[in-house]
Amino acid sequence: MKRVYTLIIAAAALFAGCEEFQPVFTGKYPDPQEQYIYTDADFGKFTSIADVKAMYAQNGNKPYVVEKNCVIKGQVTTSDQVGNLYKSLYIQDETAGIEIKIGKNGLYNEYKLGQWLYIDCSGLTVGDYNGMINIGYEDPTGEYETGYLEHAYIIDQHVFKGKYDDPVQPVVVKEADLHKDVNLGRLVTIEDLKYDDHIFILAYVDPNGNRKDYTNNGIFIDEEGPDNYGVTTWACSEAKWKEYLNAGNFDSVEAAGSTVGALRKSTGIGSMAYSVSQYFKMGKTDVQVRSSGYARFADTEIPQEVLDGKATVSFTGILTEYKGAAQFTLIDLSGVRKADGTPWYE
Amino acid sequence: MLCSLSLFAQESDWGGVKGTVVNRAGRAPIAEAALTLSQNGETVATATSDAEGKFLIEGLPNGIYDMTIKAAGFLDATVNVTVEGYVKDLIFVGMVVEQVIADVDDSNFAEFDMDDSGFEDAPSILFDSNDPFTNIASFGFSNIRFKNRGYTNESQDVYLSGVRMNDAITGYSPYSLWSGLNEAMRSKETTIGNEVSDYGYGGYNGVTNIHAMPSSVRTGWRFSALTNSALYRLRLMATYASGELDNGWSYAFNVSARVGGNDWVKGVYYRNFAYYAGVEKKFGDTHRLSLVTFAAPGQRGAQNASTQEVYDLTGDNMYNSNWGYQNGKVRNARVRKTFEPVTILKYTATPSDNLEASATVLWRTGKNGYTAMDWYDAADPRPDYYRNLPSYYWMDNKDYGRLNFEKAAWAKDAWINDIPEYTHLNWDRLYNVNWNNYDADGLRRSKYAVEERRVDQNDINLNASIKWMASKAFTLTGGINYKWNRTEYYKKMDDLLGGDYYLNIDQFAERDFASSPTMVQNDLDYFLEFGEAKSLKEGDKYGYDYYAHVRNANLWANGALDLGGFKANLALEAGYAKFWREGLVRKGLFAGLDENGNEMMYEGKVLTTYDAKTGKAITSKGNSEIADFLTYSAKLGLQYHFEGGHRIYANAGYFNDAPTFAQSFISPRTRNSMVPNLTTVKTASADINYQYSNNGYNFRITGFWTNIADQTDMMSFYDDSQNSFVNFAMNGIDQRHIGLEMGFKIPLPVQGLSLAGALSWGEYIYTSVPRMTMTVDNSAELIYDNQPVPYWASSPVYRKTVMDGETVYETDLDGEPVVERFQKHYVPSTPQLAVDLGLNYRTNSYWFFELHAQYFAKSYLDMNPLYRTDWIVAGPDWNITPTEIEDLTSQECFAPAFLLNASIGKSWYIDRKYNFGFSLNLQNITNNRNVRTGGYEGTRLADSETMERYYKFDSKYFYMQGFNYMLNLYFRF
Repeated sequence: MKRVYTLIIAAAALFAGCEEFQPVFTGKYPDPQEQYIYTDADFGKFTSIADVKAMYAQNGNKPYVVEKNCVIKGQVTTSDQVGNLYKSLYIQDETAGIEIKIGKNGLYNEYKLGQWLYIDCSGLTVGDYNGMINIGYEDPTGEYETGYLEHAYIIDQHVFKGKYDDPVQPVVVKEADLHKDVNLGRLVTIEDLKYDDHIFILAYVDPNGNRKDYTNNGIFIDEEGPDNYGVTTWACSEAKWKEYLNAGNFDSVEAAGSTVGALRKSTGIGSMAYSVSQYFKMGKTDVQVRSSGYARFADTEIPQEVLDGKATVSFTGILTEYKGAAQFTLIDLSGVRKADGTPWYE
Repeated sequence: MLCSLSLFAQESDWGGVKGTVVNRAGRAPIAEAALTLSQNGETVATATSDAEGKFLIEGLPNGIYDMTIKAAGFLDATVNVTVEGYVKDLIFVGMVVEQVIADVDDSNFAEFDMDDSGFEDAPSILFDSNDPFTNIASFGFSNIRFKNRGYTNESQDVYLSGVRMNDAITGYSPYSLWSGLNEAMRSKETTIGNEVSDYGYGGYNGVTNIHAMPSSVRTGWRFSALTNSALYRLRLMATYASGELDNGWSYAFNVSARVGGNDWVKGVYYRNFAYYAGVEKKFGDTHRLSLVTFAAPGQRGAQNASTQEVYDLTGDNMYNSNWGYQNGKVRNARVRKTFEPVTILKYTATPSDNLEASATVLWRTGKNGYTAMDWYDAADPRPDYYRNLPSYYWMDNKDYGRLNFEKAAWAKDAWINDIPEYTHLNWDRLYNVNWNNYDADGLRRSKYAVEERRVDQNDINLNASIKWMASKAFTLTGGINYKWNRTEYYKKMDDLLGGDYYLNIDQFAERDFASSPTMVQNDLDYFLEFGEAKSLKEGDKYGYDYYAHVRNANLWANGALDLGGFKANLALEAGYAKFWREGLVRKGLFAGLDENGNEMMYEGKVLTTYDAKTGKAITSKGNSEIADFLTYSAKLGLQYHFEGGHRIYANAGYFNDAPTFAQSFISPRTRNSMVPNLTTVKTASADINYQYSNNGYNFRITGFWTNIADQTDMMSFYDDSQNSFVNFAMNGIDQRHIGLEMGFKIPLPVQGLSLAGALSWGEYIYTSVPRMTMTVDNSAELIYDNQPVPYWASSPVYRKTVMDGETVYETDLDGEPVVERFQKHYVPSTPQLAVDLGLNYRTNSYWFFELHAQYFAKSYLDMNPLYRTDWIVAGPDWNITPTEIEDLTSQECFAPAFLLNASIGKSWYIDRKYNFGFSLNLQNITNNRNVRTGGYEGTRLADSETMERYYKFDSKYFYMQGFNYMLNLYFRF
């Protein structure tokens, strides 16, 4: 029996002596730490958004990679929740507003309307997209002047979350001020607009084909045709596109050396969700309200009275510019209001 | 002398046998060995050896007898004895010291993510110590995930106390139900290939019957403690069995705990317990009643496969993307939680010596859950999501259009420095997102949550079987079985991760049908009643909820003829199988008809949608159509024993089996629609075997051929480009398995030393062009409608030359590329060549040593059918080129692997009463960490810049662990 005891003791010692023995935690996990809220004290000196935007022009209107220490501070003015903005958000300070091309889905989960953000611009690129200066990452493909930050590790080097605050109040912008630098990229309200019965859609014969080949694959649906082609929604989802297409709305449009109508009946035309520019007149100035086919309100009808020109409308959203024309990005449909200021949509 | 003996023999019809039972190694006498003499299966006489090992049995009629010798600590031995008119002195009857087998734990196999891989936590084949091949392959080949003869897990029939336990829904053999109960379940018998067992008909991949009755558990106490580096730190086990008491009662219990992590995969852990309790009562000589209950409750963390890029970046082929730090503690998002008790009531009757009958009721119930991340309209939290990897930003091949070297460098930096926020789940971030997501009412709506996917079975089996030994030459066995199964599939909110609620809506549908308030509803009836989707708390059911109903009945009989040396058997089976889905919630996308058969309406709009082909409403709630099948099969076996331990035998079988529920619905989470062309699986199988077993030599060689036709398969996975679950339903999959199997054990001149080896060589290939239907959970559209998958069974290899790095394909006179040959495609995830050679050494002081070298080759990657369709091979330009065909359709073959394993053990007997022993098992001694055991291809497509073709997404792989040890100590009395 003595031998048995010796063996048991030896065995116990062997088990207990296992160096790798690390108990695995399987209980109730403690709550994580609350995230750190950055304050001005973490950064010190700030550059104004207007000054950062000006760097583009100072660099001879070429993409500028910010080298020196440069931190901007602004409040978030957009949300990608309804999908009219995608992978991007706008911030603004008292000097200007600017798009930050973060490059993740569901940014509204992390960056709330009114929240203060600190952007460390050093290493990032200031670039232009058809008249709008934005901040993003260098894009070596040359397709765009800036790309998305995209990877969380890169984002965390440049975007720092500050305190939550009340959402920014839009400023009312008059017709004459539509193209002022200070207003571009800003949350604004424009009032008293009339529907102009005019749209623009860039579609494709085969959306899975070469989208750069405009000659053979592009379908430009614009002012050459009848009014708004019966496109009475803010944009069109894939399903809505099929509906418009199959109803013959675009049959007269030229495409690939033929017409949409002819192609539709022969080789067929593919479907996808398309952005739509709905034109409005603010006084004498055209304003294109451009909405994404992926926005949840894409297939929502523009109110009939507006379409009929019987009612004017005011918009709250981000004022932008596209090749010199005024463009407008809705954040959601609560930014569409009647002349008396009440919302068109619930 | 010879003459006088024979003269003497003629003088008497009676004789006897005597001898001394000894340890074969060392000739030490063995006392109290139990000897049983039998003839044609009937016991004729018994005896016990005395203190010197001597025994004597007299008064035997002349004839040939089988003498079985049993002794504690030794393997049972059987010798042939011929009595011819005198007491024959056998002199020595040698016994071999019981091999202290490394304690094979049925769950001793890496836990993988079943949803991703289809892997099961089951051994490749079962333990059968009498067969020289399975003796090695059952445990020695399990690390490489060897599949016997290339067959799937479903083909292996596992019976518990005579009841077929293969899962009613998937067909998998559910070892996890009794994992950790090794002692209670140790007693089992196994047939190989087409052989029929006494307990059940079986298929073409053997039958294992685990007795699981209290009287079959080894009598006495046994305690063991086991530590290993592969799965869990510690297993403690206690067993007691009474054996059959004088009053006819026997009882047994077995309990165990398995806890802790391992050396290789972080996040994988065990917290599993197991219990078994059984009681049995024998009434007279005729009746026996047993009641057994057991379960293996607990939870364990799961592993996930990643791409080679991730493994290379982390420098670890065991990287597991399922876990992350929560407040500094490792937390796994994928945890399997189970508690599935099984209860068995068995009645056995032996009304006469030649008749045995039994009736069994087996009930399985309980819960089986598997947690996973769920998120709503938020960034994908998985650390190895392809957009988090350097390859998403930079590829050498410019045609991918991934040109941002700097971003790739940052991504790489995060990975190679193992910054946990990016290389593991970031629980802290997920909580913070939820904490700050206030809705208009000031409540926090969770954007990230942990769901539990539940598969709760209720399985009742009724079984009766009979064995009638009609004569010495003919035995009839047969049985009747009925299975009733209702399995509920649903999701449960497991953890809101700091939020207050989660909404029961289909976010996948929401992307496509955002403007429709009804189509996004997971539970449309709730929405119609309350006007909003249900706000979920922890513990609430959500997502999908449906029953799988399965009913199976079958009848079988086996007639066995035994004419001494020649044996034959013929077995027949017929059955009926049916199953259907019963949706318990009405999904907004597939509203179907209401209780009165009318269309569903909401705000004046019709919600009901119709199948384009059948014109019938697509339903999610209520019963689907019933799929039913008549099944039948037949088996024939022939064998002949030659003098001196030679045996030749052959088996053949034909099987017409029903598909399983799991293979039969195109999108069971969302609707009642079935896979097109559902039909039975037809299998023809044959094998021929030669076995030699004598004087410690043991050798078997088998040639086998199996043809399986008309299989269906269902693959389902999350595709973030579709933002939904995508389903591939395949039908018409045929495969052919041919091969050789060989095992041997040869005693060497050194006493106690033997050479043992096993070889499995096969060619398991696909032989048909199956068809595929592709659907997405959030749409009724058939994206790919029962179209052929032409490159499934083979892919062409073109004649080509490489000049200056450019591949030039040779063309024929018509300008068509020249096909050099067609490359076969193989049944994946098992080596088609497996070799083992080793030395076993046993001393007469109860030491044993084993050293085995192994070689595995020709293992292939599981294929994605999408990459084998003309549709995808053609690419966006609809032009099929040799490059596209070769890149997309070829099948990957894994590199061969060489492994070295060893075992050492000893056991001590003290006062003949106590037995103490240990075994130490060392696996993969050379610490080879580059052995792929399985994996699967990517499910998505990458576009090319030229828009001429698609690229495959990276494949994901499972690797074998490096060096592992397992130490087991036990004490028995």
